[in-house]
Amino acid sequence: MLIELLLAVTFASAVWVFLAADETAPKLAAWLSLLPLAIALYMWTQFDASGNALLSGSTVGFETQVEWFQLGQYTLQYHVGVDGLSFPLVILVTVLTTLAIVSSWTPIDERQSQFYGLMLLIETALLGVFTALDFFLWFIFWEAVLIPMYFLIAVWGGPRRKYAGTKFLLYTNLGSLVMFVGLFMLVLGLGDSLTQLSLPAIAQALAAGELSETVFGLGGTELRAVAFLLLFLGFAVKVPIVPFHTWLPDAHVQAPSPVSVILAGVLLKMGTYALLRFNFTMLSDIATSSPAAEIIAAVGVISVIYGAMLALAQRDLKRIVAYSSISSMGYVIVGLVAFTPHGMSGATFQMVSHGLISGLLFMSVGVLYNATHTRMVGDMAGLAERMPITAWIFVAGSFAYMGLPLMSGFVAEVLIFVGAFDSAVVSGAPLFTAVAMFGIVIVAGYLLWAMQRAIFGSFELETDYEVERAPLHDVAPLAVLLGLIILLGVQPDLIYEAIQDAIGPVLELNAVVPDWTVPFTGGEI
Amino acid sequence: MLGTHPLASSISIPIVPGIGGAEVTALFPLVTFVLILAFGRYLPFKGAFPGIVATGLGFLVALATVVEIAGGAGPRHETLHTLVAGVSGEGVTLTFGVLIDPLSALMLTIVGLISLLVHLFSLGYMNAEGEIDLPRYYAALSLFTFSMMAFVLSDNLLMSFVFFELVGLCSYLLIGFWYREPGPASAAKKAFLVTRFGDYFFLIGVVAVLGTFGTAQFASYAPGVEASFVEIATDALEHGETGEMRTFLGLGERAWITAIGLLVLGGAVGKSAQFPLHTWLPDAMEGPTPVSALIHAATMVAAGVFLIARMYGFYALSPTALAVIALVGGFTAFFAATMALVKQELKQVLAYSTISQYGYMMLALGGGGYVAAVFHLTTHAIFKALLFLGAGAVIIAMHHEENMWEMGGLKDEMRTTYLTFLAGSLALAGIFPFAGFWSKDEVLFETLVHALGGGAPVLFVAYALGLLAVILTAFYTFRMVLLTFHGDPRTDTAEDPHSITLSMKVPLVVLGVLSVVAGVLNMGVFKGFLPENALFLERWLDGATMGEQFRESSLTAEHYHHVLTHDFGAGYSSGYAGLGEGNLALVGGVVALVLALIPAAVAWRLYGGAEPDPHMMNLGRIRTVLMNNYYQDEYQVWLARGFTLPIATLANKFDQGIIDGLVDGSGGVSLFAGGRFRQIQTGVATTYAALLVLGLLILIAVFAVTGGWI
Repeated sequence: MLIELLLAVTFASAVWVFLAADETAPKLAAWLSLLPLAIALYMWTQFDASGNALLSGSTVGFETQVEWFQLGQYTLQYHVGVDGLSFPLVILVTVLTTLAIVSSWTPIDERQSQFYGLMLLIETALLGVFTALDFFLWFIFWEAVLIPMYFLIAVWGGPRRKYAGTKFLLYTNLGSLVMFVGLFMLVLGLGDSLTQLSLPAIAQALAAGELSETVFGLGGTELRAVAFLLLFLGFAVKVPIVPFHTWLPDAHVQAPSPVSVILAGVLLKMGTYALLRFNFTMLSDIATSSPAAEIIAAVGVISVIYGAMLALAQRDLKRIVAYSSISSMGYVIVGLVAFTPHGMSGATFQMVSHGLISGLLFMSVGVLYNATHTRMVGDMAGLAERMPITAWIFVAGSFAYMGLPLMSGFVAEVLIFVGAFDSAVVSGAPLFTAVAMFGIVIVAGYLLWAMQRAIFGSFELETDYEVERAPLHDVAPLAVLLGLIILLGVQPDLIYEAIQDAIGPVLELNAVVPDWTVPFTGGEI
Repeated sequence: MLGTHPLASSISIPIVPGIGGAEVTALFPLVTFVLILAFGRYLPFKGAFPGIVATGLGFLVALATVVEIAGGAGPRHETLHTLVAGVSGEGVTLTFGVLIDPLSALMLTIVGLISLLVHLFSLGYMNAEGEIDLPRYYAALSLFTFSMMAFVLSDNLLMSFVFFELVGLCSYLLIGFWYREPGPASAAKKAFLVTRFGDYFFLIGVVAVLGTFGTAQFASYAPGVEASFVEIATDALEHGETGEMRTFLGLGERAWITAIGLLVLGGAVGKSAQFPLHTWLPDAMEGPTPVSALIHAATMVAAGVFLIARMYGFYALSPTALAVIALVGGFTAFFAATMALVKQELKQVLAYSTISQYGYMMLALGGGGYVAAVFHLTTHAIFKALLFLGAGAVIIAMHHEENMWEMGGLKDEMRTTYLTFLAGSLALAGIFPFAGFWSKDEVLFETLVHALGGGAPVLFVAYALGLLAVILTAFYTFRMVLLTFHGDPRTDTAEDPHSITLSMKVPLVVLGVLSVVAGVLNMGVFKGFLPENALFLERWLDGATMGEQFRESSLTAEHYHHVLTHDFGAGYSSGYAGLGEGNLALVGGVVALVLALIPAAVAWRLYGGAEPDPHMMNLGRIRTVLMNNYYQDEYQVWLARGFTLPIATLANKFDQGIIDGLVDGSGGVSLFAGGRFRQIQTGVATTYAALLVLGLLILIAVFAVTGGWI
């Protein structure tokens, strides 16, 4: 019942805020957003699921499964639940939404009730995406995320907001279409053996080898391969994976910073989460086959390096962070395709970690922008002098992005690297990994450069007003995020244990785990 | 904690935890860091006071640890924090823990001592000079001390990497302390970026170690309980027990071990400022001088050398890796010393001298002289910290003038500074009986012996470079002392220097005394004529004071020697050119002393007068090349600006023009032709919502029809 409560409370909050006056909406939204946060955190204390929600032999957390309506041979259900993969993302959604709402107080000064209502609405949809276990329900939430995000960009965004919003909407919707076709080829291929569209049912039927029908003249492995490709392309837009990434910088630059926080922090993770659920769980046999694994690994490595190189060429702080996100999401792909415990779990950890770190950077760029009205690196210098706390948090966030140890990004990257290096499915894995790791040098290059120019030096900025310190409600969310980043960097097992537990069954699907035990756990040596 | 020698309890200081709680040495500064961050402005001396207390306590605990080890306690190896637990033996476990043995206890003491003295010195250098933002300074200093101590205590390679990077962060923060000036901000960036480049290879090495051995531990927890990666590698090569290690990329065990060793070496080359990643260190002199003493001379820069020493049992397995280390070290020692010859700024001479001296330590490690490397690390930490602090005193006296040609004659006005600086200089130049003489000589001796023993011919080359560097070192050292302190004052400031505080004098005196006597630790030159147990450091690193358990472990100098001298390892052997060990050591010492005294005399002749001339100008174009550091900085800047940046710009153009162009084009053409697209684009936003729902409905309909729903 708790998931229903979570969704209902969030949705009701959204409605309430929509109806509230513009003056009261900001504070009201912040207070109301604490409810889903509190519920999610309480659920975390009660969470006792084990295994992977999609695969047999697992217990699903807070599961509800009721029949909804009949559609042909299929029983559509209201089916929700969480496991170690989705729950950390659920918490991430609730945390980031609250912080993003508070950080909107300063920059959003018109149509507040609509803005905050949409923020809570998008939270509802995001929570739905990460909790839904029925394909139909999941797809509704998946698409529902797009609408509030479109408005948030197109109404409150920068000068080219309409263009960026439309591009985002059309591009990602096209991705959804491709993905939808891919999944339905599988559903049709499963034929009569499938009587419902719950994700576990589909995954388990596929695992049991019940794909018997031919669709469009394709059958068996061919059908799975084509479906895999379509799903991959569909999700690649969302992640985004190079070369399907060009909507992202536009959307980020035009979106207000708090919206960027949600966009980079959570929306991108929908793509990697779906990749993990569909491509790497339901069709893991294709994902682990050669040369698919090598191609995906190469695509991931290219995203890492190419994204970082693009970031190096930018002058707009937001564009820098936006392209960095492409690079960071590339690490997720590199980790997922490895099919090793730390590779896949580390990739999932990276989703959470990057959500926090990119959130922190977008948010602090936003706070700097509130005061300076520019984001161009060449236009400002010496901000550390005028806005010391914000500037130093930006520095800390930049180091987090560079993978500084004792911050979550380092743990995520090291786990991905360790896992990817070990991969038994990607031939030449050590070389792929070593190339991908060069991202840690490039990221240091552009962030150190940006800091040297914008944060350090003596203060320089052409304004006709005095640049002052940011108010507490702008700085506090930054501090909270930084605290969480350090907490997860020092104590990753807070969530990593659950993640590993949910990744285990995925690895067993194809028994690709290296047959090799670690001396550490032995004790019998 | 393991069994304690009965003697230990009687001499250990009961109120401070020793080996059983040596990690508190690191905790003190961590607490201080948090305190200063939170309340810095309100703390006594803007945070200097808690810093002094923390480092003082840390130093005491480190001393207590040393005393306990001397009394037979240890080693202690304990996991304190599990970062990531691997599930059911399928993934490696990442942990933080402490490994307290003679090596780490010694290093811990050095870090504690220098950090304490630098805090004291900072009272005079920073507080008394009215610097602003001091809490930030002391917070970073505390964070550094914490990270450095944690690095020293690390019991596994991953943890080493973690704190290796964190000391790099602190270095960044402190080099850039005066961030309002363009120089420090730029130097900080360069330091982090160049060392990050080295760390890239180090991190691949860490990942490779975890992938190869499944553990990154330096040592076993107890004999036979859990093997370390070093031991697994040794077993694989010594007994052919390759079951617990894997190799990658089709390489054999030995080749793969060499590859890992070279990757980790990348980090050491960056941090210990070895060629070709040395370029950041001279720039790092933009930071406050006490920081230069602590971080960029005595401790952080030593991290690379310490890392190699920490896993020396691993490097001893690979003759190739050792040869590379020796060559890099020997070359750096010589190469950096040439640049120090012509520098005009006091701190620049010391910076290049530091690079050169770390070259000696690398040379020793590559040449099979583990004890020599640790010995030189110890003495160098003392005399180079002293020289930097002395330079700091001069800089204060000279109102932040650093050019030696603006000085002269300071010896009469600055008695304490002069005498202590002189002690440090004599140690640096390797003059008998000052500290550096003994350690540098041992470095050269070990390399020579293993070269004579028929090792890689490259050892002779490395040895020759090291010997040449002795000549250069003595010359630039005396040139520095003479120009700064002797002759007539060349400026008004030099005539009437600013006085320095007592808090600056005390550290100088402490380090000055140590620079004179520290050689006693290991008087290897006289090894043929002294009783065997007079080589204290060698005995210390052998664990001679400790129980059998340690002496049979894989962490002793004796074990490293064993691996070095067997064919499964480096296959080194010793040769004494027919003189015997004792005589060769004595001859080597005399030769090195003579090689140091001659250029010292030349320097005295050239710069000892009342009004010395700038003789280096006679070098002409050579001087230009040296002043420009062989254009090393230029090519690295070119790599970043002239090479990488244009590629990035090109990629950006490609991305905007081609990839995004295709997207925009296809979006307009295939979905909505021309004007209609624009109409929708600018239309009411609700259109899109309708579009979405419509799309969804169509999808459902398609599915419903083909799914058999009629």
